[in-house]
Amino acid sequence: MAALQEKKTCSQRMEEFRHYCWNPDTGQMLGRTLSKWVWISLYYVAFYVVMTGLFALAIYTLMWTIDPYTPDYQDQLKSPGVTLRPDVYGERGLEIFYNVSDNASWKDLTQTLHKFLTAYSPAAQEENINCSSGQYFNQIEFHAPNHTKFSCKFTAEMLQNCSGLTDPNFGFGEGKPCFIIKMNRVSLLRLDSKYIFPPFRQSPQSHSFLPSSALCSKHQIPPTNQDITPPHYSNPLVAAKFLNIPKNKEVIIVCKIIAENVSFDNPHDPYEGKVEFKLKIQK
Amino acid sequence: MVGGFSSLLWAGAILCFIAYVIEFTKDNSASMDNLFLGIVLVLVVILTGMFAYYQEAKSTNIIGSISKMIPRKALVIRDGEKKEIPAEELVVGDIVEIKGGDQIPADIRILDSQGCKVDNSSLTGESEPQLRSCHFTHENPLETKNIGFYSTTCLEGTATGMVINTGDRTIIGRIASLASSVGQEKTPIAIEIEHFVHIVAGVAVSIGIVFFIIAICMKYRVLDAVIFLIGIILANVPEGLVAAVTVSLSLTAKRMAKKNCLVKNLEAVETLGSTSIICSDKTGTLTQNRMTVAHLWFDNQIYRADTSEDQKAQSFDQSSATWASLLNIVTLCNRAEFGAGQENVSIMKKIVMGDASETALLKFSEVIMGDVIERRKRNKKVAEIPFNSLNKFQLSIHETDDKRFLLVMKGAPEAILEKCSTIMFNGQEQPLDESAREAFQTAYMLLGGLGERVLGFCHLYLPEDEFPDTYSFDTETMNFPTSDLCFVGLISLIDPPRSNVPDAIIKCRSAGIKVIMVTGDHPITAKAIARSVGIISANSETVEDIAKRLKIPVEQVNKREAKAAVVSGMELKEMSPEQLDELLKNHSEIVFARTSPQQKLIIVEGCQRQDAVVAVTGDGVNDSPALKKANIGIAMGFAGSDAAKIAADMVLLDDNFASIVTGIEEGRLIFDNLKKIIAFTLTKNIAELCPFLIFIIAGVPLPIGTIVILFIDLGTDIIPSIALAYEKAESDIMNRKPRHKKKDRLVNHQLALYSYLHIGILQSVGGFFAYFTAYAVQGFRPDLLLYLRPLWVDDTINDLEDSYGQEWTKYQRNHLEWTGYTAYFVAVMVQQIADVIIRKTRINSIFQQGLFRNKYIWVGIASQIIIAVILSSGFGSVPILSFTTLRVQYWFVAVPYAIVIWLYDEFRKLLIRRYPGSWWDKNMYY
Repeated sequence: MAALQEKKTCSQRMEEFRHYCWNPDTGQMLGRTLSKWVWISLYYVAFYVVMTGLFALAIYTLMWTIDPYTPDYQDQLKSPGVTLRPDVYGERGLEIFYNVSDNASWKDLTQTLHKFLTAYSPAAQEENINCSSGQYFNQIEFHAPNHTKFSCKFTAEMLQNCSGLTDPNFGFGEGKPCFIIKMNRVSLLRLDSKYIFPPFRQSPQSHSFLPSSALCSKHQIPPTNQDITPPHYSNPLVAAKFLNIPKNKEVIIVCKIIAENVSFDNPHDPYEGKVEFKLKIQK
Repeated sequence: MVGGFSSLLWAGAILCFIAYVIEFTKDNSASMDNLFLGIVLVLVVILTGMFAYYQEAKSTNIIGSISKMIPRKALVIRDGEKKEIPAEELVVGDIVEIKGGDQIPADIRILDSQGCKVDNSSLTGESEPQLRSCHFTHENPLETKNIGFYSTTCLEGTATGMVINTGDRTIIGRIASLASSVGQEKTPIAIEIEHFVHIVAGVAVSIGIVFFIIAICMKYRVLDAVIFLIGIILANVPEGLVAAVTVSLSLTAKRMAKKNCLVKNLEAVETLGSTSIICSDKTGTLTQNRMTVAHLWFDNQIYRADTSEDQKAQSFDQSSATWASLLNIVTLCNRAEFGAGQENVSIMKKIVMGDASETALLKFSEVIMGDVIERRKRNKKVAEIPFNSLNKFQLSIHETDDKRFLLVMKGAPEAILEKCSTIMFNGQEQPLDESAREAFQTAYMLLGGLGERVLGFCHLYLPEDEFPDTYSFDTETMNFPTSDLCFVGLISLIDPPRSNVPDAIIKCRSAGIKVIMVTGDHPITAKAIARSVGIISANSETVEDIAKRLKIPVEQVNKREAKAAVVSGMELKEMSPEQLDELLKNHSEIVFARTSPQQKLIIVEGCQRQDAVVAVTGDGVNDSPALKKANIGIAMGFAGSDAAKIAADMVLLDDNFASIVTGIEEGRLIFDNLKKIIAFTLTKNIAELCPFLIFIIAGVPLPIGTIVILFIDLGTDIIPSIALAYEKAESDIMNRKPRHKKKDRLVNHQLALYSYLHIGILQSVGGFFAYFTAYAVQGFRPDLLLYLRPLWVDDTINDLEDSYGQEWTKYQRNHLEWTGYTAYFVAVMVQQIADVIIRKTRINSIFQQGLFRNKYIWVGIASQIIIAVILSSGFGSVPILSFTTLRVQYWFVAVPYAIVIWLYDEFRKLLIRRYPGSWWDKNMYY
């Protein structure tokens, strides 16, 4: 095995490598002649074309078999998530800290709200219809334009003085900020009751919900037996206006969905069925 | 082997820690995956290292228990007193006493000896007891009669000697240190593994760099690109392979041990399989190491005796009266006796007191006639002259039934014939005329030419009138006739080949393995044995044979015409290395006779210059340098000395050459099976790597996580890959040439390409299909997933919309990602079942091989399924393991791909079988 233990010099190795790259005796490049390279490449091209075809066929079959309107399973979406606006994330979740006297510290927060509510302007909601039945809005037929279904109107006005229309500062300037709470859209959800309830251990006057009583109308919930979300559908919102938050103190606020089939105690997911945030208003 | 692999894994572990540190400094809450991976890699290295060590230590222990050669106590005369002291306390100048049965405690010069005989076989390979005396007879300490060697055994007699060397300075010690200084070659499997590691590392680094560049072009941050680079390299590390290979080798080692090949070093398992030259001892390895009656000559005819191990089938004609007389002489003129208390031992295994020839004759007559001792009792011995080298015969006189005395004599044939005037033919005494003498001469030459030790037998019934039964015989004055006897016959003895050796040699020959015999015996005996076992085949001739046939001088013979060669030690001494190379190259059948054990080293080196993988057998201490130098040194379990066993890589427990051949078969099988194991393991590497590549390029949520990959590599795939080690050979592996060290690689580019670019890609496609299915049925369609990653991984987005407008929190997305991992994992597992089935064969159809012949494969498949069921049914749903409970239908998503894999491989094998040598064969056969 002496040959295997021979130490080759660098130039020998280079020479061998060059010989491997181009062997003038046999006309081989990288160990194959040109025609061999063509053959092997053709084979691989053909092989991968077939394989891509197989994959495309599989994906096509998949798309063909899945329901176009509702997802087949909702294994991860047993309970809807809840989100908050304005949403500023700190080290550990949502943290909304601002100084009443420092306009710049809450300007961005109100901007976020304004931006968020543009989707709820009358113009944006124009094609939606007025619903007021207080029942789930079941549609079987596709009567809306482009073979879709109708959505109910939900305009910012419904949030009254948290709409940004009457008070463009959403109360941030006076230390009574509005927060908009949104329940994530999940198809096939049927809520048996619908409250967003912050367990706030202050006097009952400490907060108010808008629309009143933190009620979402049932017709605003993406209804059962319905289908892919209508194109202009907007989630119903609840605004919470906090009236007397102690100043210069970090307050933890949890808003939960209280409903029979919504859980809010998943230890891994802090946003499932509830939203928790820290609020600190400095003066 | 473990060295090459573990360097790969160590490098991987270090990369893991680097990647973890980079991620950690960037973000304190970085995932711990890389840290875990690093720790697991280190654990794998350490555990497999410990396992291999344990395996090898276990076989070393067995060797240790076979014999304990180191002398413990020595009887020394100090201060005028005899004392018993531990042998290691001896110093030069001590006077020691030894007696029969002792081991000599140091090198001693004999001062006084009473019939002291020593067994030097462990040192020099001479099996005959050597007489020791105080006479200086030779310059060479190994040859002179007045030196007793450390660790040799004193067989009989007593002696007093002065210690001249102790410990490492003794002859044995020096040889042992020479042996340890002989550089050992890397084993072929170690070279193959190194080559494999180069391939894997090359692939890993080149893919890594390509994607590093792509990542930079895609405007990833450099630090992220570095993490990707490391991730890609790590994904190529086959974590489970080192364990699978080590276990497979030790399984084979275990199987070999059952067939009497005890392998000390796991790598030697495969080395044996790639052996292309075996340099074998003669005595004890090729032969039975006991003298046995081979031929008989009486009634002017040569009869062949059965020389097999039990000698049961004695088929020659036993009706002649001459034979009766001959048998009588053989029985009576024999001093050998069975040891006491062996009534239940079979004849061949009985211990006999007496020298080798007499033992052979005693057993021979016992087998044929039964109860020799009874016959001896009936014919009481009245006088005896034992054999001595002066008169070259042995004589005894016995009483007989008819009152006459019978004189029986045996000895060197020519000496016996001289004392005869008549010869017995068909029971009738006839005058010993010229024609009878000629017949004798022819028979004698013929048997001698076979390398056999020939003995002549004659007898004489003493006339009753001259020698009445009261006659007192005197062996000093020889008051009885010792001439004009009646010649009865010849018996020739040989140390016969073991009966299974000729088959083994034929097997070697068809397996393209050259068998070279190296012996200390006389060239004629060596050649005869070589012929009878087939080392020199029936129709091949040596240069001398050709010269004899053509009646021309040896010098005129064209050496190329002679296939065989018998070379003596003296000739070998004169040869230059080039001449030796020439000899080894030009002759396919070589016998080295009258060689000293030291010359073995020269022969081994010569063979290794031919690029051969050389196996060498040996038993003496002197053999240990050659054993060490050889690619695989094979020591004899019974006859071998400790030094030989220590220097060897393998110990042959039954000292039988045929066991080497079965060992070779196992070694070749494991080489093929290692190919299958590696091909099986490499395949899913691509299926584990592609997700990461697609993740980088197409920005999809990660299809499979590091921990899940570890569960494939070290979980579901381990048992199936080990099960492949039990796969039977596809064709007669002993019908092909030994593999060429530099051409027939363990991992060739066909294997790598086929595993990586064919089956591996197919598996990835299947895996991705499962992944897309898992996402699509929960709401994320494939088109949405592309480039979704920045949003997907954003912790601050808790309302990410899917294709149905549903909104997902971060944790819900994570949970879906894990479902994706689990689906991908199950898909790879399902396709690995197809993979393990296709890897059962490389060329034959699965149906030719038989689906159920290797039951371990099914155990492996069951283990895959069980582990996957456990992980995906809730037990894996610990956040750190990142498995979720999987819906049953995901299990079947990849099944069509598994079937495609199987069909494709059957198609590949079909074309290879149909068109051997074609373009397809060259590119697709690994």
